[in-house]
Amino acid sequence: MDNMAGQKTSLSIVTNISVIVLVVLWLIPTVGLLVSSFRTNDQISASGWWASMFSVEEAIRISPEPAGASRNGDYHVLSGNLFEGGSGSVSGFGIAATAPGVAEPGQVYARYTVDVTEPDGKVDDTRIEVAYDAGTEAVIPTQDDDGNAVVPGTAVLERSLEVTENGDFTYVSDKEIKRAPSVYITTMQPPSFSLKNYQTIMASDNMDRAFINTLTVTIPATIIPILIAAFAAYALAWMDFAGRGFLIAMVVGLLVVPLQLALVPLLQLHNKIGIGQSFLGIWLAHTGFGLPLAIYLLRNYMVGLPRDIIESAKVDGATDFQVFTKIVLPLSFPALASFAIFQFLWTWNDLLIAKVFLPSNSESWVMTVKIADDLLGSRGGDWGILAAAAFISIAVPLFVFFAMQKYLVRGLLAGSVK
Amino acid sequence: MKYAVYASVAVLAVTAQGAFAEAHLSFTPGEGDFNWDSYNAFAELYDLSGQTVTITGPWTGNEKEKVDKVFDYFEAATGAEVNYSGSDSFEQDIVISTRAGSAPNLAVFPQPGLAADMASQGLLTPLADGTAEWVAANYAAGQSWVDLGTYAGQDGTESLYGLFYRVDLKSLVWFSPIAFDEAGYDIPETMEELKELTQQIVDDGGTPWCIGLGSGAATGWPATDWVEDMMLRTAEPSVYDQWVKNEIPFNDPAVVGAIEEFGWFAKNDDFVQGGAQSVATTDFRDSPAGLFTIPQECYMHRQASFIPAFFPEGTEMGVDADFFYFPAYAEKDLGTPVLGAGTLFAITTPSDATSAMIEFLKTPISHELWMAQGGFLTAHAGVNPATYSDDTQRAQGEILANATTFRFDASDLMPSEIGAGAFWSGMIDYVTGTPAEDVATTIQTRWDSIR
Repeated sequence: MDNMAGQKTSLSIVTNISVIVLVVLWLIPTVGLLVSSFRTNDQISASGWWASMFSVEEAIRISPEPAGASRNGDYHVLSGNLFEGGSGSVSGFGIAATAPGVAEPGQVYARYTVDVTEPDGKVDDTRIEVAYDAGTEAVIPTQDDDGNAVVPGTAVLERSLEVTENGDFTYVSDKEIKRAPSVYITTMQPPSFSLKNYQTIMASDNMDRAFINTLTVTIPATIIPILIAAFAAYALAWMDFAGRGFLIAMVVGLLVVPLQLALVPLLQLHNKIGIGQSFLGIWLAHTGFGLPLAIYLLRNYMVGLPRDIIESAKVDGATDFQVFTKIVLPLSFPALASFAIFQFLWTWNDLLIAKVFLPSNSESWVMTVKIADDLLGSRGGDWGILAAAAFISIAVPLFVFFAMQKYLVRGLLAGSVK
Repeated sequence: MKYAVYASVAVLAVTAQGAFAEAHLSFTPGEGDFNWDSYNAFAELYDLSGQTVTITGPWTGNEKEKVDKVFDYFEAATGAEVNYSGSDSFEQDIVISTRAGSAPNLAVFPQPGLAADMASQGLLTPLADGTAEWVAANYAAGQSWVDLGTYAGQDGTESLYGLFYRVDLKSLVWFSPIAFDEAGYDIPETMEELKELTQQIVDDGGTPWCIGLGSGAATGWPATDWVEDMMLRTAEPSVYDQWVKNEIPFNDPAVVGAIEEFGWFAKNDDFVQGGAQSVATTDFRDSPAGLFTIPQECYMHRQASFIPAFFPEGTEMGVDADFFYFPAYAEKDLGTPVLGAGTLFAITTPSDATSAMIEFLKTPISHELWMAQGGFLTAHAGVNPATYSDDTQRAQGEILANATTFRFDASDLMPSEIGAGAFWSGMIDYVTGTPAEDVATTIQTRWDSIR
């Protein structure tokens, strides 16, 4: 018992550290999503978000216009600047995509045709590529890549390329330069982020309409179940009638029924009674699907309120309705608020029920449907849009959550600890 | 001159019907290589002002914009309103909405299997009498398109339910001409040459293939296309048909052989970018990107005609990217088989305007209008190939036209539990190590259990 205080300290350090670790773990995907939302599709498929914060060496192909090529003896020469008026810094260059940065700026990279002696004694021609400093002579190696001996003095220049760090280049070829030659350089690319994904989403047709539709679905679909559930929960908690226990058991039982089972029959019913696919329909559907949890949560909370208060009110002549509105409802505010947050988040993020119970025309799309069916492209390949859309659609729920979070914790505890 | 007068009169009549200003239409009627005669003739026949056709389908985003432009002409011609909505989860949505009684007028099915399923439950209405004869006469390989759209109804009588509109070509290999040029590779004409080239690229220190099977919930489907293509290149088309109907078991040597042919490419660490292990986890949308990186991560990518939509922005067709026909074995003498898929229109709630829409889809103009916007191939024989938006499309159209055998994507024809389930997951098991024989036996067991 003496070292109780010390134990507590070390324990709380462990707790704090594990909390920090958990929070960081939780945040990693969100941060990744946030970073991705500022990158284009091609960037996302080329490298991970964690690599996006650093400059990377990138290889690019440049095809300088062949206009201005001149003839110099047996060779054709094209020169100019690869950045064409812009600026940049070359860190390496080459003449084939397989080795884009093989030579350093200031060097010449040349391809020769040479004769080699093969192991069986036959003489054949092959290509040899060499890099050498500009202003010096090329040194032809004595062996080719396969280890065959090069016949001295047979090297004939096929093409060569000289590039300096600022992008000035000279391209020499033994053939007339009619098509733009492919020149490869490597250069450091600074990290690049853009707001394009956000602009695409905000500027797309009917986005405002979708936002309003989402609110039209969400607000009534949050309020209606709370209204009904509060009455039901009071009755199940504080009014004595036959079969009350059975009813509670039914409600708890309904919690485990997957709502997908009800989609087709419910829509059939809506069509039969003339509601069809409409906002009224989706309010009723969300209400139905939300009620079991709402009643269960509120009833457990209300049953834990002090019996004394309610009984004294009844002794003083209050009716059940008065007890409910004047005492139980104000006291249950944390539970009501926490359920409201749940229901709001769930209806805000819902895609399935919106697709089933709302008409499929673009005038009644909610935001989730708009994102999934319109913005994500023909086959859902626009990852950047998806990431940005996630952050746009999260804004309102985040606001609701922070505005009401103090009730959430209280409400959760209140329902469970009895 | 006479034609011009006729056309402008028809256009006047159309605008008089009141619905749409001409500026609304993306191609001016009467201009270009389009078959405007078929449009004018259609416009004369129908006046459906005040009616609405609702259509749902799998085309979303950019494809929805294109098809909406085609429907604009239907609206201009008839005065009816067309309400098309695309859904990312069309296959689920259409089942729910037809069963619940809030079906659209027309549904665009990406898979005949699903349409057949719904027809057998009485949820679809057969097309008008005579449509089957018309398709047989006017589509390239017409009878096969009739067969693919003919299903047994609720009472067991067979009739034509689906009209094919838009075909995807699957037997294509995409590559970068610049990369092939620099390395000095030639386009292979036979499967033997393709395998040689694959080996040669490895010998030269490169990686020949980019293969990605990832696709969210549908992970594995790109492999089924590989296997189907291999099936058509190693076995008679009749064997393929038996396989689709399960008249030969899934673990028949012919099928196992085709799976192993796919494995020759995909299960060799040297042949695929990232090694065989990454095949199952790479997303199919990201996998072609390796063709365009510098230095290139791979040289070839086998995928259907839609894949250019996922090429990096600014990729120019014919310059940065091109394709060749996924060749057949020279020694097997099976001709030039082509694997494809397609979408079909079926009536879910009949109405006058709906029948008119089916008639509209039979006109060459309705196909040409999308051909001109790109990303559309058709089996309709009456269209003018000059309206294809680019040479790539035209070349694909030629491959389709020159096919000695055309077969529809087998996994789309099998029951969805197999074709959109066990076959997909089986392929993932295969590339991650399970022997082909075991995978095929597992799929056959699943097939037995659903009968």
